[in-house]
Amino acid sequence: MSNKILVYIETLEGLPAEHSLELLGKAGDLAKKAGLDVGAILVGYEVKSIAQELIYRGASEVHVVDDPRLGSYNLLPYTSAVVDVIKKTEPEIVLFSATVIGRELAPRVAARLKTGITADCTDVDIGDWVDPGTGRKYEKILYQIRPTFGGEIMAAIVTPQRRPQMATVRPGLFPIPPRDESRTGKVVEWSVNIPESEQSLVEVIEIKREKRKVDLKSARVIVSGGRGCGAKGFELLRELASVLNGEIGASRAAVDAGWIPYDHQIGLTGQTVKPDVYIAVGISGAVQHVVGMKDSKIVIAINKDPEAPIFRIADYGIVGDLFVVVPKLTERLKKKS
Amino acid sequence: MVNPYDKYAIEASVQLKEKFGGKAVGIAMAPPHAADALREVLAMGVDEMVLLSDPKLAGSDTLATSYALSVAIKKVEQRLGSVDLVLCGIESSDSNTGHIGPEVGEWLGVPSVSYVDRILEIKDGYAVVKRLIEGGYAVMKVKLPAVFSIAGTSYQPRIPSLRDVLAARRKQIDVWNADGVGLDPSLVGLVGSPTRVVKMWRIEIRRKGKIFTDSDVDVAIEKLLNELKKDGVPLGV
Repeated sequence: MSNKILVYIETLEGLPAEHSLELLGKAGDLAKKAGLDVGAILVGYEVKSIAQELIYRGASEVHVVDDPRLGSYNLLPYTSAVVDVIKKTEPEIVLFSATVIGRELAPRVAARLKTGITADCTDVDIGDWVDPGTGRKYEKILYQIRPTFGGEIMAAIVTPQRRPQMATVRPGLFPIPPRDESRTGKVVEWSVNIPESEQSLVEVIEIKREKRKVDLKSARVIVSGGRGCGAKGFELLRELASVLNGEIGASRAAVDAGWIPYDHQIGLTGQTVKPDVYIAVGISGAVQHVVGMKDSKIVIAINKDPEAPIFRIADYGIVGDLFVVVPKLTERLKKKS
Repeated sequence: MVNPYDKYAIEASVQLKEKFGGKAVGIAMAPPHAADALREVLAMGVDEMVLLSDPKLAGSDTLATSYALSVAIKKVEQRLGSVDLVLCGIESSDSNTGHIGPEVGEWLGVPSVSYVDRILEIKDGYAVVKRLIEGGYAVMKVKLPAVFSIAGTSYQPRIPSLRDVLAARRKQIDVWNADGVGLDPSLVGLVGSPTRVVKMWRIEIRRKGKIFTDSDVDVAIEKLLNELKKDGVPLGV
């Protein structure tokens, strides 16, 4: 009998990722509503010590696979490990963060289990559903809520029959649950079956990763630059940001070009932000960037291409050369203040 | 229309073909009227196109869709010999799931890599790929066959010339139905889909979309600041 919600935990340098903790907190709310327990799946090598932290953050059970074969993330062995834990624990619901890892691991796991999965949910809830075809009622199932058709339509999706019900959930939407050292829970270690062949199919040759030192989450105003900026453009953005008392953000293209450190990157492989005002300069608005900033209260876009997708999600915009617009705007704002 | 994110994958397939030889075959699963849009794929340099189209496929979710595509890929293999590489766009521009690549990989029982920025090398039955990760890159050596979802903008889609467009008219679009490829009907369409959409609602478009295109930048800036003031947006103005 399955009686739990499990959250897949991503780790970063011996700590659970913030988005995983957010999701654990949200899963705790769902668990209360559905009368289930909330637990975590923790996969990797030398990760066991993280289990206690997950209990402090609300997990009542942590399912750990601590295995030298899982030392660095590799999709196929990780799929096998997670699938094995799910088969052994039979959870009702399994949630992943909609990150680079979650967005490939979760569908791979779902496909192996032949169950349903919904991508990039902006909310998850528990509710009942009556199948209009059969009249059958499904109680306390997972409502997987997400935007679709370009974002103007929201859809609620359910997985009525197959188990587990699975979804990836966008990071940055829910609060991190408070740490409470009085919480107790159980840690279960599993040894899993990973086919030999899966370990050799993909070999990680090199990983280049920068550590993040700047947290843009609490910034009220962010001035963000993209491919159109160049190193010179970022100097202009800094002046604008300083007049507005804002922080500097960037798209991946600008970070890859070396104009600005990774700390400032916003988007799928960077940070998720929701400032009061987000000013996107020379950013075309590729989906990988937009997922990191689309919950900003106000979006202002400056771009010379009137067709740039960023204008479609902007409240205000100026079509023009950023090297002309930004200095003038900065001067104008200086005068006023 | 062709999903804009797929165009990067189409471009990658054509560049790989130009560099390493072989054949690029496009597979789409769509209603029959999509055939027109697929001419564009052929114009970009793909050699031939398969359109998998059948009322039985209607209502397929990602699990069912990826199953159908994996069967079509096997059918291509029967016809043309082994498939070394399956490329897809990172996601669709309407539902944005990004699930098809990994799920096709699972149905085929081969490795999949999402967020591939560039395929650096193909040699001795392996591909070396550079993929995006949080905070940077990973370079990976992957045994072929494999499924790669192409992200990033490393493969800028070419704009076909008039000659390419004309040449595409002579290329073939095969329309395949479910029986023809040997799909298990219980695994596709609504019956084969574990998920159900139970509710849809329109959300208010919160974005105001006040875009100023004045050629005089000063005018545009004044308009912008006026609107911000009027709408009470806190910009320190």
